Amino acid sequence: MFAYISRRISTALLILFGSTFLTYNLAALSGDPLAAWRESTDPKKESIIAELIYTYQLDVPAPARYFIWVKNILGVFVGKADFGFSVEGRIPVINLIADAIPVTLRLVTTATILAIVLGITFGVISAIRQYSRLDYSLTFLSFFLFSLPIFWVAVMLKEYMGIQFNAFLEKPQIDIWVNLGTSAVLAFIITGFVGGTRRKVQIIWAATFVVLAVLLALASATNWFRFPGLGIFGVAVLAALTSIGLTNVLAGLGNKKALWAGLVSVGVGVAFYYPFGVLVNESGNYAILIGFALLMLSMSFFIGYFFSTIDRGPIIRSAMLSGFFVSMFTVGDKFMQAWAPYYTLSDGKPIQTDGTHNLAMVTNDFWVINLDLLTHLILPTTALTLISFAGYLRYSRSSILEVLSMDYIRTARAKGMPEREVILRHALRNSMIPLTTLVAYDIAGIIGGAIITERVFGWRGMGSLANDAITQQDLNLLMGTFSISAFLAVMATLAADLIYSALDPRIRIRK
Amino acid sequence: MAINFRKKKSSAAAENNETGAQGMETLGLSQGQIIRKKFFQHKPAVIGLIFMIFFAIFVYSASGIHLGSGDARFTIKGWWKYSHEDILPPGSCNTGCPTADHPFGQQANGRDYFAQVMRGSEISLMVMVVIGLLGGLLGTVMGSVSGFFGGIVDAVMMRFTDFVITVPSILIGAVIGYKFGNLGVFPLAVFLGIFSWTGLTRLVRGEFLSLREREFVDAARVAGASNRRIIFKHILPNSVGVIIVSTTLLLSGSILLETGLSFLGFGVQAPDVSLGALISINQGAFLYAPWLFWWPGVIIVVIALSINFIGDGLRDAFDPRQRRQIKRKDYLLKTSTRDAVNKR
Repeated sequence: MFAYISRRISTALLILFGSTFLTYNLAALSGDPLAAWRESTDPKKESIIAELIYTYQLDVPAPARYFIWVKNILGVFVGKADFGFSVEGRIPVINLIADAIPVTLRLVTTATILAIVLGITFGVISAIRQYSRLDYSLTFLSFFLFSLPIFWVAVMLKEYMGIQFNAFLEKPQIDIWVNLGTSAVLAFIITGFVGGTRRKVQIIWAATFVVLAVLLALASATNWFRFPGLGIFGVAVLAALTSIGLTNVLAGLGNKKALWAGLVSVGVGVAFYYPFGVLVNESGNYAILIGFALLMLSMSFFIGYFFSTIDRGPIIRSAMLSGFFVSMFTVGDKFMQAWAPYYTLSDGKPIQTDGTHNLAMVTNDFWVINLDLLTHLILPTTALTLISFAGYLRYSRSSILEVLSMDYIRTARAKGMPEREVILRHALRNSMIPLTTLVAYDIAGIIGGAIITERVFGWRGMGSLANDAITQQDLNLLMGTFSISAFLAVMATLAADLIYSALDPRIRIRK
Repeated sequence: MAINFRKKKSSAAAENNETGAQGMETLGLSQGQIIRKKFFQHKPAVIGLIFMIFFAIFVYSASGIHLGSGDARFTIKGWWKYSHEDILPPGSCNTGCPTADHPFGQQANGRDYFAQVMRGSEISLMVMVVIGLLGGLLGTVMGSVSGFFGGIVDAVMMRFTDFVITVPSILIGAVIGYKFGNLGVFPLAVFLGIFSWTGLTRLVRGEFLSLREREFVDAARVAGASNRRIIFKHILPNSVGVIIVSTTLLLSGSILLETGLSFLGFGVQAPDVSLGALISINQGAFLYAPWLFWWPGVIIVVIALSINFIGDGLRDAFDPRQRRQIKRKDYLLKTSTRDAVNKR
């Protein structure tokens, strides 16, 4: 094992060496860094060009210059890696990258996690309802999303989710016909996930439709979109419903212990509504948020533990997820209450289409500042999630279908195991093994950044650094961003192979 | 979201499924005939195929055929009256709205947008086909060699694949644009194709790795067949499904790659146009002249969607496990006839 890993790492270093060499020379071929100065009419242009040639050693041919670059990088072993200076502004490349990585991570991590969770969930539902109307719709949706160019989606999202939504918020009243139409469509979508006889489906559709229409009418009448909030009652109801739904999926409503464990977790979470509110009003920070989520998780773990005697897994899981969602709803409620002050501060344009945060906004309120970050994040995250969601959906669907046709699934069904257990315990776990490869590659792509998305939404992340570097013929900057993403890509391939062999004992690593 | 885990109608469905591929086999159809029949039963795929054929004919006849560049240029004029290079007086309405004369409207510089979109589609289609075919060919060769010979050959070639994956396509676009920008889009398509075989290689390699362990390969080897014969006569025909399907998916991926690069400005260079470049130019016009933004985008989506559906149809057709999909009415028909039999 050790020999294998060390051999793979040394090959990886070799690959990195080769690919940085190729990239360096390609980049040097992609334009003349002095072109702009050669054509300028600046009287001092001769001396500027000479200075540039001296600083960036442009008189050395690119293949040889690459080795100077490598020599500076290898300083990492003596404690000072030198990625050089960027052309524009003469800033150390390492500083530019250090600024860009958090931006890119913020943008891509959320989108990747959302895409993985949603893609797997819908993929599983699609697979266990194979050849149903829902399956066909999801299949069509995934093909459609596969075919969407992200730059086109991004521009449309800016218009429809950004500008038009802001316009709607100026007078947030929903027309009665729009309300009925929206409710009907939403009810139709929600009903799609419920199986059963035609009559049952019709009843569920009607009930969902009425509930949604009434909620939308209430929201419209009370100006909820301008002054949103759930209140303790709203948090309690939402969390209880979520908990019941989760129990139904994870343990079945017949499992009374799981149901009660979930509901008690919800009750405990709701009891923290006011203490949490007081605490964060005085000093809001991330530590309190994370602490609250961790506290809820650990408490609901113990609740689940005490409620269960045998087969603790599903009960603890539904309790913990209920606890997690209560804390999410409580935090969400706080954000909603910060919406009104944020709305005034953002000058009536709450959903921002450009940049990472609103520079003109001056406030010390923790919630308003974070709301500002979130509203900037929402459009690019949606665009990225839409695009990568389809891949996870298709992959997990086919993976589940493949596993469901295995003999051990037939055995599990034959011994009388409930279908829920068959799917959650036997099918789901095994079908997720091939997905690790996909996830590993996706994570490797995170730092490389989303060049197009960053460009459309004006984010200054790794992607836009690379883009600028190519346009400006900035070799140091380009190689800085590129070598980091290439390093991650190579390591992800290795990690994917290792994880795969660890999860699937049938695959042995050659010694 | 309540999920109801109830038993599927799997038993009835499985019974009914047997009428699919196996029924055809008992009819005495050859493998090729079965695949063709199954493909034409897949409605979205057939719609996609017909659309692609008509669309390609429409585009190429409208904008004409352009080969080469510079002095060595060979063109056949299409039936559309304007060329994408014609500078026309600005439209009668100030934002160049669609008229009978300019069905897609006019750009701010007076150019007829229908001619622009047709020329862009022509180039995007051409680039897509070149990338797809070149990537497909290289991927098949690399994957089959790597999977068949295994061992050190496989290890070296897989690490070479890892190496190629790390080369960013945006950089290739930039280099080609700078060095060969005056030669038209063909060099761009070729170089992108040279770097886009990696995914297909992995799939073909996997298929070869599993097929080479099968009995019929051992039988052929015992009978004294050469490596070449085994590859071309025994393994390649069996992996043609994987190759064709993933080449189709490579095609739909490459139109998104090319339009994305052109959107960033590293793909097709002016004076040539591409659907991605058209969107990039006109994204600011979204508010006052939305048709300038909609047409190229819709065309990209429709092309990619049809190709994805064709790929899906091919996958179903080549996969022997995948049988005809069961419709509700088939199920009802089956149960009602069974009931009728039972009553008798």
